[in-house]
Amino acid sequence: MVIVAGLVLAGYAGLMTARDRRMDVPLLIAVGVLEVMVLVLVGLVVAKLAGGPRPASPATLIGYLIAMPVVPAAAAAWGLLERSRWGPAVIAVAGLVAAVLIVRLHQIWPVIHV
Amino acid sequence: MSEPAAPSEPAGSTRTGPGRLLVAVYALFALAASARAGVQIATKFGHAPVAYLLSAFAGVVYILATVTLANGSPLARRIAVVSCSVELAGVLAVGTWSLADPATFPDATVWSGYGSGYGFVPLVLPVLGLLWLRRSAARASGKRA
Repeated sequence: MVIVAGLVLAGYAGLMTARDRRMDVPLLIAVGVLEVMVLVLVGLVVAKLAGGPRPASPATLIGYLIAMPVVPAAAAAWGLLERSRWGPAVIAVAGLVAAVLIVRLHQIWPVIHV
Repeated sequence: MSEPAAPSEPAGSTRTGPGRLLVAVYALFALAASARAGVQIATKFGHAPVAYLLSAFAGVVYILATVTLANGSPLARRIAVVSCSVELAGVLAVGTWSLADPATFPDATVWSGYGSGYGFVPLVLPVLGLLWLRRSAARASGKRA
């Protein structure tokens, strides 16, 4: 579900870039929604870790758990500094990256079903 | 050529316009390569030392390119050109090496198979970086001529 959200955000922000639109409030809200979804996902994975089971490489998993919430937040901050179509372009990449990170997270620890 | 760009002038800046996106993607790879190398060196260095050291090197190059592209001063530009060139040479050399001698790479680096594990973005990124540095430099000097 978070993967779909990331891809939808990427598509929407990509469309804004193609149409030469700048960062706006609806796009920021969309990034915020993705950020919240990512945080919930991280919370669920941490809860599962606390419950006992361990993935094959815990260090990589923890790295992903730290990096994932940073991506939409950093993209929003960096994109907001831009006053052209390239602001939404940064958001588009962030949406795509969020989706890829979650796909990889599932590969690192297939126990996750979110 | 070595004329300093006016500080507050966004024209010719390396971090605005398409550069905004470029710096973002560079930052992403700086994070990905260094974090990956850090985890691998800390947890299983003996497994594939060459691959992990090359990942760490790639991480340093990406960090340097990110910082200098975001800065955009004349000195930073020059360092950015070197970083992007080293990066292009690195991805070509390591890409070829990893295909010719897979035994040295039991585990992948960012640059293995010309960056195939990362959608070949590591191969495209330095080219875009160099093109962008050239274009923004031409724009900067054009505005001031």
